[in-house]
Amino acid sequence: MMDHWFIQDALVLAGFALIFFLLRAGSRNERWQRAGARLRRDRTGLLALGIVLLYLAIGACEMLKLPGGTRSILDLFTAGVSPEKSYSAPLAETLLGSTRHEHLLGRHLLGTDVLGKDVFVQMLKACRTALIIGGMTSAIYVPLGALLGVLAGYFRRWVDDAIQYVYSTLASIPEILLLVAILMVLGKGLGSMSIALGVTGWVGLCRLIRGETMRQTERPYITAARALGQSHGKIVVRHLLPNVMHLVLISAVLGFSNIVLAEAILSYLGVGAPVGTASWGVMIDAGRTELGRDPLVWWNISAATAALFGFVLALNLLGDSLRRAFDPKRA
Amino acid sequence: MFSYLVRRLLYAVPILLGVICISFLLDNVMMSPDAKASRVLGPKATGQNRREWIHNRGLDQPKPMQFVHYVGKLATLQFGTSWVTGRDLGEVFLKGVGPSLCITIPGFFAAFFASVGLALFQVFVRNSPLDRTLTFLSVALMSVPTMVYVIFTQAFLALGLSYFPAFGFNDDGFGMARFIMLPVIIFMLINLGHDARLYRAIFLEEMGQDYIRTAQAKGVANARVLGVHVFKNGLIAIITLVVAELPRLVLGSLLIESLFGIPGLGNVLVQAIQTGDQPVIMASVFLGSGLYLFAFILTDIFYALADPRIRLS
Amino acid sequence: MHLCRTLALMAGVALLVGCNNDPNPAPYHKTRPDGSPWRVRYMREPSDPKSFDPQFAYTVPDQQYLEPVYDRLLEYHPMKADPIELRAAMLEEIPRKELQPDGKVSYLCRLKRDIHFHDDPCFPGGKGREVVAADVQYVLQRLADPKVESPFFAPLEQHINGLHEARETGIAKTGKFDYATPVSGFEALDSHTFRIHLNGPYPQLLFWMAMNVFSPVAREAVEYYDGQMHDGKLRPTFRFYCVGQGPFRMREYTPRRAVRYERVEGYHTNVFPSDGFPPEKAEWLKQFAGQPLPLFDELHILIVQETIPNFVLGRQGYLDSISADKDSFAALITSDQQLTPKYKARGMGLEKVGLPSTFFISFNMQDPLIGKNVKLRKALSSACDMRAYVDIFYNGVAPVSNQLVPRGLFGYDPHYVNPNGYDLEKAKRLLAEAGYPEGRDARTGEQLVLTLEEPVESTEYRQRAEYEQRMLEALGIKIKINENTFARVIERLEQGNFQIGAGTGWAIDYPDPENFFMLFYSKNFPREGANYCRYSRPEFDRAYEQMAVMDDGPERLALIQQMNAMLAEDCPAIWEFDKAFYIATQPWAHWTHNHPTIEYGFNKYHQVDPGLREKVRHDWNRKPAWPPVAFGALLVAGLIYAVRWNRRRHV
Repeated sequence: MMDHWFIQDALVLAGFALIFFLLRAGSRNERWQRAGARLRRDRTGLLALGIVLLYLAIGACEMLKLPGGTRSILDLFTAGVSPEKSYSAPLAETLLGSTRHEHLLGRHLLGTDVLGKDVFVQMLKACRTALIIGGMTSAIYVPLGALLGVLAGYFRRWVDDAIQYVYSTLASIPEILLLVAILMVLGKGLGSMSIALGVTGWVGLCRLIRGETMRQTERPYITAARALGQSHGKIVVRHLLPNVMHLVLISAVLGFSNIVLAEAILSYLGVGAPVGTASWGVMIDAGRTELGRDPLVWWNISAATAALFGFVLALNLLGDSLRRAFDPKRA
Repeated sequence: MFSYLVRRLLYAVPILLGVICISFLLDNVMMSPDAKASRVLGPKATGQNRREWIHNRGLDQPKPMQFVHYVGKLATLQFGTSWVTGRDLGEVFLKGVGPSLCITIPGFFAAFFASVGLALFQVFVRNSPLDRTLTFLSVALMSVPTMVYVIFTQAFLALGLSYFPAFGFNDDGFGMARFIMLPVIIFMLINLGHDARLYRAIFLEEMGQDYIRTAQAKGVANARVLGVHVFKNGLIAIITLVVAELPRLVLGSLLIESLFGIPGLGNVLVQAIQTGDQPVIMASVFLGSGLYLFAFILTDIFYALADPRIRLS
Repeated sequence: MHLCRTLALMAGVALLVGCNNDPNPAPYHKTRPDGSPWRVRYMREPSDPKSFDPQFAYTVPDQQYLEPVYDRLLEYHPMKADPIELRAAMLEEIPRKELQPDGKVSYLCRLKRDIHFHDDPCFPGGKGREVVAADVQYVLQRLADPKVESPFFAPLEQHINGLHEARETGIAKTGKFDYATPVSGFEALDSHTFRIHLNGPYPQLLFWMAMNVFSPVAREAVEYYDGQMHDGKLRPTFRFYCVGQGPFRMREYTPRRAVRYERVEGYHTNVFPSDGFPPEKAEWLKQFAGQPLPLFDELHILIVQETIPNFVLGRQGYLDSISADKDSFAALITSDQQLTPKYKARGMGLEKVGLPSTFFISFNMQDPLIGKNVKLRKALSSACDMRAYVDIFYNGVAPVSNQLVPRGLFGYDPHYVNPNGYDLEKAKRLLAEAGYPEGRDARTGEQLVLTLEEPVESTEYRQRAEYEQRMLEALGIKIKINENTFARVIERLEQGNFQIGAGTGWAIDYPDPENFFMLFYSKNFPREGANYCRYSRPEFDRAYEQMAVMDDGPERLALIQQMNAMLAEDCPAIWEFDKAFYIATQPWAHWTHNHPTIEYGFNKYHQVDPGLREKVRHDWNRKPAWPPVAFGALLVAGLIYAVRWNRRRHV
């Protein structure tokens, strides 16, 4: 079910709507205002943010379909790129190592892959895969991890024990095995990949939030709220969540980069993105044998690596900047 | 201390039980006995062949029976035999641990020394342009997928420069070194970015402590402050941090081992995943979670050792 | 500084050990007892052996692992490929067919005398005993034993007299097979002569005798190697321990790394043939004629799953042949199918091999949509441009398949033209006639959607799946790909839960057309057989039953042509390609045999020249010196910078 493009898009959009809502709600918080001000002065952070937004915009172009449901906005721009028969080098005029020296139908900035698809276009289209996997996985694990973490840290006792038990059990299973097993059960697809990554991904966040919540509950403002007889629900929503939300934001940004990196390994193990979906992980895995070729086919893996590297680097830098902005003393 | 350890171990039991339940459940939902048989026996196996195979392995018994049987065997540490190779898993794991550790232990120490060295160097030249460049490079190192490290180093160091064997492994004494150099370098590169950045932060935090400022105010040389005080105290913090990683080294590295043909546990696991060798996968899950729980206890003990204020109770 | 010292030390060690990139361990000996150089042959296999049990091992790699250790009753002549010829190995001569009065058929076989099992602790005194006829009976009993899980039981039980009954009675008493149970199809005449009785004519029996299934094994060995503890020592299981009678003994098997064999002194079952030499090699081969086998002393099979190391190790001279796969192809072989100048200059040779096999896409003949609409099936078949497919994924080497029987086998018709071959215009026409003009249902106007089952376990399969989808979608229809692991795809095919199934095909067990036509015999519906298409046509079945037991000849050929025509008429599958590829051989290990169709059984005929190998390897592995220097320079520069920076800060 989660493999229908419409549902995927809806989920990702819902995720971003949530982030937007959070940011707006956060802008009323004094701590977030200060952090925002600091971030605006941080040139690296702004640049990283810009790059991330650029990637997301490209991904969104591929994600949103034109009426009819078969073509994306990105397809409009790339319609002029004609598919070739097989490999061709960047800007080459003939097929690579072709026995008949066939001429290409057009020029390709980054060459073509084994099926003759333009590598540059594939590289751009793969942004959508990253966006969908990252978005859907975050939509699964962030609320789960944050909520359970706060609950465990606030209620302690048996709630804490139960949540700790669940996550210790999950965390103790070697991650890659759990991922592969879940993917085998659910079948391939971006949806099941997100579920698998979500199931394994919430543990770290939950642990982090649990610790921070425990620290916060010792603070006078919570004790005061309790003394005033506020309900548990109110304390959690009004006081605790806003005070740990910045940690959630930072981990979500850094977690996004981990998800994109994990996709590459899953492709190697044969449970990566489904057939017909452009993905950096699959391109890199194809490069494993292509780099042994002679003449060397370097453009496919290089393009994918560069694109992936740029995205993950920007996310990491952005995460660092956010951390600095929220907690200037420690960073 | 002793009662603490006993309690920790008792606490591990329900977790292991949970792990067994999850893996048994996933395994049974994942593939029908028939699919398992055809996966192991290959596409040419006839129906009768597969029925025999299923029967000989007791997969036609009721699920609860299978579960009880499985838990009983694990409780006595009998892992059974591999479906694909027919070998006893105890033996497979014992033989695989050696090569895995040959990569991961030197790799772990190489990564440790390189990251600590780099972090110290950065603290030494802190806030210089080089420091900033190196920090950026660390983030960059973190942003490259493991696959790419393996593919590129293999392509250039082994294929392009002929420095190392591109593939293979032998445990004939010193000759082994040539096989493990490249995997160890890659292991180091993979961890370098993340670790160096973390250690740098730890050392810097140490630099901000009052006693360091006092030492500096007294006029102790910068290199000495760094080399003695910061290094010593920072190292304690780092060691308590990395000690948790040690047990998992036993399981080896999935990608490196399979791409370099190191016959360690990581390789065993990749092949088991690819061939659907269920007993191997299940036993690895069990082993992995056991080691993980062990790591937790180890970390606690180290915390107590490093910081006398903490009492294990 | 402490760190720099470590790094310098590491760089030093790297330099030291970097001097050698040889992945192979030292050979067992440097020289032979007579002082001549010890000859080692290095091979590569892509996967671990599943077993060393001759009655269990079935795949081609497994047979290749077994053949050095276990000789077979018969073998393929290493030089004669067209037509394929059998020759005696452990038997004195090719068994004679005898017609029994009751219409049944027997084969009279005589074992060569004085063939011994290898010395092993399982025999009294550790001395290998002579191979006798009773060992062949033991083989048949092992087939009947369900615990052996022999894949050969199913194809042989209907043909060998009493094999089926032996299983029934053998396990009747205790559930465990009783080895006192006789197999009525085996009759011992004396210690070395025996008869095999068949239920009816079955000429393929001789081909089975050329496979490892009939390799005699010693009962002592099977019972001794039981995988249990004895006197504090763990004995391996027979599945992973060899006590053979062939030219080599297995000395080491390290899983996921290598299998090593050493020659057995005094092997004399066979010698190098002195006839049938191909003309272009005859002059060179004459020197080996009549020589005792094997021609080398040690065999080293490296287990390399990935394809890149295969090419690289070959290029560096650490493997004796390089198979030209998809990625190394362009480096090795030119467009006119010759060695590239670079490798020709090295003195390499080129051999073309291919295990006869046919790959095809299966249609489910019981599917309400695909199964009922023959024009639709033909349209899909005609839409597949297999030439382009083979060009991309097999460098144009693998022949495009246009009939069920692969080339190299009796019954293959080189002049046959597949009426459902690639023709996109015709395909579109057929699709319109089938009721889907332009890929849309003529009545409802909806696009036709078909589901294609694809086994996808790696990136390469992924690319193929995408290509197959693209070929079919050229018709204007929509192909939904259902990706799964191989096992799951087979499961779905077996349940009949599919429309179109990719990745199906057959590789020969023995070179006889019956081995392929049985894929469309209606009594071979899945779960027992491999007729995944569920093709069922009474005339086809009748022709098959007749053809299966015939000797080769014009009548058999006529029947095969009829069956081909039926398959073309009903189009239950899209023929894709046969398997064929090139192997480049190193100058010191040119192939002595030249058999393009059989992939196992010829190891003992190979030769190597270790002197030449030693000489050229050095030239092929030169290492530049700049990288460690550059690395060292970088470290020094960093140090200088650090010292300066600190000095400045303190001033």
